[in-house]
Amino acid sequence: AVMATSNPSVFLLSVNGQIEGANFPEYDNLYCKYCFVYGHDWAPTSGLEEGITQITCKGSESSHKLIWNFPLETTFKSTNPSGWPQLVVSVYGPDVFGNDVVRGYGATHIPFTPGQHTRTIPMFVPEPTWRLQKFTSWLLGRRPEYTDPKVVAQGEGREVTRVRSQGFVTVSFHIITKDIKKLGYDTGPSSLANTPSATSGWSTGEQPYNME
Amino acid sequence: MAELHIIGQIIGAGGFPQNSLFCKWGVHTGGAWRLLSGLKEGQTQVDIPQTGDMAYWSHPIDLHYATKGLQGWPKLHFQVWHQDSFGRCQLYGYGYCHVPSSPGHHRISCVTWRPLGSWQEQLAQMFVGGGPQLRSPDLIYSGADRYRLHTEAMGTVELELGIIMRHFDKYGVES
Repeated sequence: AVMATSNPSVFLLSVNGQIEGANFPEYDNLYCKYCFVYGHDWAPTSGLEEGITQITCKGSESSHKLIWNFPLETTFKSTNPSGWPQLVVSVYGPDVFGNDVVRGYGATHIPFTPGQHTRTIPMFVPEPTWRLQKFTSWLLGRRPEYTDPKVVAQGEGREVTRVRSQGFVTVSFHIITKDIKKLGYDTGPSSLANTPSATSGWSTGEQPYNME
Repeated sequence: MAELHIIGQIIGAGGFPQNSLFCKWGVHTGGAWRLLSGLKEGQTQVDIPQTGDMAYWSHPIDLHYATKGLQGWPKLHFQVWHQDSFGRCQLYGYGYCHVPSSPGHHRISCVTWRPLGSWQEQLAQMFVGGGPQLRSPDLIYSGADRYRLHTEAMGTVELELGIIMRHFDKYGVES
């Protein structure tokens, strides 16, 4: 029997990976929430769209390493690369009074070439604009937060926000695609090297643990 | 018609005198190109990094173009601005780079420059800030009339761009 050649109308993007951990010099006892944001031509076909990690604290060996080792396993289907999925992560931790406050938001596009990829995502928090607001927020333990973390995946409306970047989250991906080439899309060579996508500019002299 | 997808981020910028920065960006194409979806210009948030020299914006870019020709290949242009604690803005640099023309992931460092005024203007700039700006932003990505300018080097804008191309091979284009 001969296998019929299919004429696919959708392509699949399969994401296997993990939220490895984070590097936040000033904070400890953090957990991370993640979700995927994608355009209207996309739909998840299997796996979870969101989740929460455990609470982790820095080990005794290297004072900056926060490890989650949290699995990501999701598959998407689409007809169009526009609206390519992004992974949105938000990190939370306790403040001086024990309230949970946000320590960073970040987002990265899911890589589109098959193979292994590592992404170091810079994390930022919205900044209060007035000094009085900064003081009262410190006192009451309530920082400005986004009502919906998914806005981090959008570019519109950012002109009026002031933020402070204060950490990084490292995520690794293993990507498989199906039928992207059959639909005529050329996404370039499969990934060979594993290079982090952002350099962390900490000048503390300690190497962020995931640089090769 | 061939199609081009540009999917990535303006990661941030570093190497500027101060690090409370934001960026106005845009994409310029020739007449043969048509934007099918996505925003082709925008402004990032202002980042004041807690540590280190680099300001991070993580500004997403997701553009879908259709084209009838190779001329006028898309160019990304930037204006990096500094915002101080009082909300005043000062230009820190202009820069542009071509969108990569081969599919796959690309990490790009785009260099920037700033117009240099007369020595009196430079002295005033040291004290009160400000400084000369271009009257028209086209000069950022075009070479015409550049010879009239005297500029100084500023920092770099870091980008990560993913390129997906479709049907270019049907027209015999190799990339």
